Amino acid sequence: MDTSFMARPGAPPPQASLSAFERFFREEYPVVVRIAYGVTGDAQAAQDVAQDVFISAFRRFPEPGESDHACAWVRAAAAHIALNAIRGERRRDRRQQLAGAGVPPMGPEETVLDRESRTEVRRALRRLPRRAATVLVLRHNGLSYAEVAQAMNVKVGHVGTMLRRAESALRKELQNASRS
Amino acid sequence: MRHVASPVLRRLVDEPLAVPDRDRRHLAECEHCQANSTEIAGDAALATRTLSAPAQITDVDLEWVLLQDRLRPDAPRRGDLRRPRRMPRRMVSVSVGAGTAAAVGVVAVGVAAAAALTTVYAPTHVAPVPVSSSDLRAVQAITHIGTGQLADGLPPSGSRQLAFGNLSWSTSGQPQQVGSIAAARALTHLALPAPATLPAGVGAASTVMVQPQVTVTVHFSQSAGAGVGGSTLQITGGPAIAVRYGGWPGGGNVTTLAIVAAQRPLATSTGASASQLETFLLTQAGLPSGLTEELRLLGNPSSVLPVPVPSGMRVLKTQVGGAQALLLTDPTAFASGVIWESHAGVVYGVGGLLDREDVLNVARQVG
Repeated sequence: MDTSFMARPGAPPPQASLSAFERFFREEYPVVVRIAYGVTGDAQAAQDVAQDVFISAFRRFPEPGESDHACAWVRAAAAHIALNAIRGERRRDRRQQLAGAGVPPMGPEETVLDRESRTEVRRALRRLPRRAATVLVLRHNGLSYAEVAQAMNVKVGHVGTMLRRAESALRKELQNASRS
Repeated sequence: MRHVASPVLRRLVDEPLAVPDRDRRHLAECEHCQANSTEIAGDAALATRTLSAPAQITDVDLEWVLLQDRLRPDAPRRGDLRRPRRMPRRMVSVSVGAGTAAAVGVVAVGVAAAAALTTVYAPTHVAPVPVSSSDLRAVQAITHIGTGQLADGLPPSGSRQLAFGNLSWSTSGQPQQVGSIAAARALTHLALPAPATLPAGVGAASTVMVQPQVTVTVHFSQSAGAGVGGSTLQITGGPAIAVRYGGWPGGGNVTTLAIVAAQRPLATSTGASASQLETFLLTQAGLPSGLTEELRLLGNPSSVLPVPVPSGMRVLKTQVGGAQALLLTDPTAFASGVIWESHAGVVYGVGGLLDREDVLNVARQVG
């Protein structure tokens, strides 16, 4: 398929490829945005991550059809791009600390507790090994063991082991955060 | 005796049928494995609570539109299409009537719709756009629709010849009065519960009106401008329900509270790109530069429902039912209103001769 339009100013995306990709997008987008939300805890940030995932997916799988590989790829990419995004957040937090910037204003119904818990979860995910954080957000946002295995390119039997270790590590990180 | 391995106990939480019978039999009799299983189930539950996304956090139609736009060769670079996170900088001041503000709303929605994308405008949240009386006069001059006409109600269908093309509108039926909010819900399929508790003095619901869906179409003339000429922009809005409460002692026919629910506006455009439409509409002769700037400050207009805020009104950002809402208060604090779009794509408005706490109490029963 010709995808060169992306490098050719003035040429529109071929309608046939867009409609094939649209079916894939509509099927996978809710899954991808949920995974991203599991990491970021923020709907807008999750939607931004999901957009970036599908921009890359279009270049890689312009006609995804029923490809399991494409599904697995966008799911894993959602976890990785979202985890990269919260790493950037750590740099931003540090920058704000150094600059003495204030916390943005909250809506009247957003409690300090909610904000702190979401921050703690993101910090915990940042401290976990990348594969542990990935297995957690994939499994806890609707993927089956078989789908997690496919997205992470591991055997199904290995998912339980990874998940158990990751959940235990997450609990310890959250406990440490609440003590400090 | 060999204990059940932790990964197997973990899988028992999610996929019990995948665990061999011998492991389940062992678990039933082994206290050590039962304690281990309890801890594992607790860790799994904690991870679910902290990492699971809510069931509905996005609008796939809108996201597909955004993606299509980014896949275009002339798309802005990464980051340019981010959703707006800031409030407009200007909250200005002169008193205008609510009907006039609605006129600006129609045009502002149209502008935002046009600026959205080539195909669809699907707002997800509200944002304030300060307007002055001169802004309103300018909009009336461009659309040829005046305050008086809106206050009296436009005919079910009609058209206006504009400088850049033809504007026409039609409805899928006549507005009608119904006997109850439940009857209105049945006609429109809109989620609008009747508030169980009303502030003192509001009285009973005196009128329940149903407005069928309205379609507004702009056919741009061939000479309208590069890229836009010959194209069509179509905006649909509604159906809608309007409930009026009255009954102030000695107040006669005074409306003490009004509740409105409407399906959000959606727009499609043919033949012209989003950026072409945006440039064209925001550079219309006669559109005040301050208003243009406010509309640009909305950020990505495809996801924003602009709410015209007459000068002098106070605006506070709040939340109703988890959705972003705007709370407007009259300078004398005599009247207040709140407007928001639910996650289901229904735009709600609650307002009346009430203080803001009373208005919010009613809103939270509705949204």
